[in-house]
Amino acid sequence: MKQLKLLAFIIIPLGIILAAVPADRISQTRLTPEELLQEAGAGVQFITPDAIADMLVQKDPSLRLIDVRTPEEFDAYSMPGAVNVPLSNLLAEEYKDILNQDAYVNVFYSNGSVYANQAWMITRQLGYENNFVLEGGLNYWFGNILSPQEPAQTSPDEEFARYDFRLSAAAALGGGGVVSTETSAPAVKAAKPAVTAKAKKKPAGGC
Amino acid sequence: MGPLAPNELISENTNFLLAFFIGIAFGWVLESSGFSSSRKLAGIFYGYDAVVLKVFFTAAITAMLGLLFMSLFGWVDLSLIYVNPTYLTSAIIGGVVMGAGFIMGGFCPGTSFCGAAIGKIDAMVFIAGLFIGVYGFAFTYGWWEKLYLANYLGEPKVSEKLGMSDGLFGLFMILAAIGMFLVAEWAEKKFPREEY
Repeated sequence: MKQLKLLAFIIIPLGIILAAVPADRISQTRLTPEELLQEAGAGVQFITPDAIADMLVQKDPSLRLIDVRTPEEFDAYSMPGAVNVPLSNLLAEEYKDILNQDAYVNVFYSNGSVYANQAWMITRQLGYENNFVLEGGLNYWFGNILSPQEPAQTSPDEEFARYDFRLSAAAALGGGGVVSTETSAPAVKAAKPAVTAKAKKKPAGGC
Repeated sequence: MGPLAPNELISENTNFLLAFFIGIAFGWVLESSGFSSSRKLAGIFYGYDAVVLKVFFTAAITAMLGLLFMSLFGWVDLSLIYVNPTYLTSAIIGGVVMGAGFIMGGFCPGTSFCGAAIGKIDAMVFIAGLFIGVYGFAFTYGWWEKLYLANYLGEPKVSEKLGMSDGLFGLFMILAAIGMFLVAEWAEKKFPREEY
């Protein structure tokens, strides 16, 4: 009886500690190198830029773009609605809720696909799901989605269909890549009178 | 990070060597706890001695606490730990056959080797019976195959089926064990035997 009491005094508090610890802290589901290799080799992490463009045009609420480049690069340009999770800070506690969740389809992107792939590998190894990689990265996005090249006359119909889709997607996403920077100049000019008009209104209000 | 062998931190041969020493230690602890006596073992079925329940449940609780805490500390990856796949039908039938054999023979497979090691003849006879059963099953496997593989459930965990965390289930397991130990101690007083 005395032994049983002693045992109870030791194991019940240990059990309470385990019961109080969050479940995901206890069972870490790491992939074996073989499993990771198999997934990476099959390219299951990639989402095509066309699929992303479609989701963006449809304003799919489940899509969440994650920019893994540096904050400076993110400030210079980011995709619509993207959040910035720099690769160097990927494991920071503040980003855990973003990366480990089951509500959104997270899509990592970087300039190419190397950094985004690294982010995917790390999060996959942590057992996180619903993370993907934008195939080809921003470079492909700019070169093919926002400023699509017209296919040759001899191309199959699918090429034209894709070209048409990309053209309309680019228009909807404010794209045209290089074109947009050119057209943005008059847009700024056009905006200027509006600003001056506002400035005029202010004194008017003062009177 | 563990487990050592699946993560290739130790070779397979080292793994066998460790298993050899752990096996010897396990046998020694079994023998010194009185597990080589079939009368003591059978006591669990009559209530006069619950050492089987106490030892095996303490072992299970210790292993459970150890694994959960080591997983919490990041020392062991629970997803790599081998879990016996569950074939429900054969688990139930096997449990009944094993229990009946345990009551009749007074040993379970492990303790029969424990008894044989200190020269008990009943334990040696039990081992002979064990091998007859093993070979009998193996040679007539075709007859049983359907039954043997029926109701395959994969590798389910009770905590998953109940939708609770592993830690919370662990706490309930500990409370259940202590409850059973109390019942066992009550039974030992209720159905005492002077000599066995």
